[in-house]
Amino acid sequence: MHLDAGQKIRTDPWFLTGAALLGLLFCLAVFGPVLMPWDPYDTSFIPLDPPSARHWLGINDGGMDIFAELLSGLRHTLIFGLTAASAGLVLGSVTGLFAAWQGGWVDQILMRLADIVLAIPSVMILILLAAFFQPPPWVLALTLAALTWPTTARGIRAQALTLKHGLHIQAARHMGGSSRYIIFRHLMPELFPLYLINFAAKLRMAVFMEASLAFLGLFDPSLKSLGLMISFALKYYYMDIWAHWLMPPVLLLSFLIMGTTFVTISLERVFDPRLKSAL
Amino acid sequence: MHASDRHTWLTPVLAYLAAALILAFLSHSLPRMLPGDFVTAMYGASDVTLTPQQAADLRALYQDDSGFMAFLGRVFCLDWGYSYAFLAPVSALFFDALPWTLVLMGTAHVLSSILGFVLGVEAAWRRGTRTEKAGVGLMTVLEGIPELCSGVLLLLVFALNLGWFPAAGAQTAYADYTFLQQAADRLHHLALPLTTLVLAYFPGNFLLARAGMVMVMKSPFVLTARAKGLPPIRVRYAHAARNALLPLVTRFGLRFAFMITGALVVETLFSYPGLGTLLFNAIAMRDLPLIQGIVLAASIMVLGINLALEFVYILLDPRVAHAS
Repeated sequence: MHLDAGQKIRTDPWFLTGAALLGLLFCLAVFGPVLMPWDPYDTSFIPLDPPSARHWLGINDGGMDIFAELLSGLRHTLIFGLTAASAGLVLGSVTGLFAAWQGGWVDQILMRLADIVLAIPSVMILILLAAFFQPPPWVLALTLAALTWPTTARGIRAQALTLKHGLHIQAARHMGGSSRYIIFRHLMPELFPLYLINFAAKLRMAVFMEASLAFLGLFDPSLKSLGLMISFALKYYYMDIWAHWLMPPVLLLSFLIMGTTFVTISLERVFDPRLKSAL
Repeated sequence: MHASDRHTWLTPVLAYLAAALILAFLSHSLPRMLPGDFVTAMYGASDVTLTPQQAADLRALYQDDSGFMAFLGRVFCLDWGYSYAFLAPVSALFFDALPWTLVLMGTAHVLSSILGFVLGVEAAWRRGTRTEKAGVGLMTVLEGIPELCSGVLLLLVFALNLGWFPAAGAQTAYADYTFLQQAADRLHHLALPLTTLVLAYFPGNFLLARAGMVMVMKSPFVLTARAKGLPPIRVRYAHAARNALLPLVTRFGLRFAFMITGALVVETLFSYPGLGTLLFNAIAMRDLPLIQGIVLAASIMVLGINLALEFVYILLDPRVAHAS
């Protein structure tokens, strides 16, 4: 079944488009700032200079090269998204697996805890934290992960419970396999599609959150970010800056969210129509 | 049977109650973990030098240390402190902004739910046709465009370039209008932020309704309904679509985090005088009591809405009430 799904995903046009978009943006974020001749924090250029051969997207109001800013912002947005998504995925998977495997009161307590955390609107906690303490982005990313693990934990737990009673797991148990062996050898690899779906969905959410909160002015204003760039550029909306200052971060952010959306939707569709709780 | 009935509604109620308490506790204790206090934060870096007496008076005005229970009591009495940027009680500011947000968010939700549901059901019914495929493709692309981006684009095209709609605000200030003119003016201001939000919510609803409907249409009971010779529209809505509604409601809670964040951004973008803009101004001026008040009150509202949805879900799906 997995082989079949693997084949299907490789020919799904949505998955291919999404993966291509994400791949391109990752390359831009990784190599862009290295290849860029200008430092995004260098303020020595002429403020509000229109695009030229030296500065492809012109200069912003603070005298910084917009193209260099854009690449640096993309990198920060992606780092935030990847940190929050991977931490949330690990936390959720471990909790879900542990709850399913232990069962009984451990399971009950963990799942009730998941209910509570799921009820808390994560934006609000992030806004409180960011407004009061102005922590570095990775703290906010980990906080977001600590608030979004329950969706993953629920999905993983449900699937692990079905697998736990499967014939092959029973067989492995009767052969004398330890819990550790069964979890690492059978359970964890079989949940692989769930990790992918959850990771993509969480990445999408985290990128969206980062851009929105940065736009609202809740992130460190000295750190470049796509949302922050949009918010700064909008202050000059009455000038001729739309094409080279406002549109580039808007488009990059759209492509980033689009890529993750396409990948999430096609993974969900291909792997299992019933696994819909992750988005 | 009776015990399991109670179990179905008791679990979410307890979970939401615990979440509300945690939120209240965080919004009580986080500001108190800061070094210094509101007064230091506000006057520490300014040119004004306070006499000890003034500092003590301000402290008495802005904060009190009578503990968490007293704080909870004041939350219930709508005594949420005093905003030092707007020089007004936080609750007054909150309730001034709330109606605008409710109008914007409420209309956006109703419109996008109805549109998404009906079109999703119809799309599933016409599965495989060219129109349907194009529709699903378009919706998937739209689902990938965040409010921040579609809002900026709408603002550019329809407000600044074409000038068809106002770019900011919720009504023309100080205009001498009759009731009808005022209503039209408010709708005119509402159009762009509303379109942005509908564009953000509607594709998700469409895709979910369609996916749910496609699954339901395979069930034997739909075949039975058709074989009985019922009119197609009755099969579609009374039999199939009712069951396709369930994933829409469950997902609503999960999508809520996206929705609130999006609404904050859209209100800020169009300077719509709702809670999002109020929060944005509070953040920009580091008005900590106001941020604290808005966050707590909005969170509790969100919890209430989600809890109500749990009950809607139980009503819609009798199986849940009788499960386990």
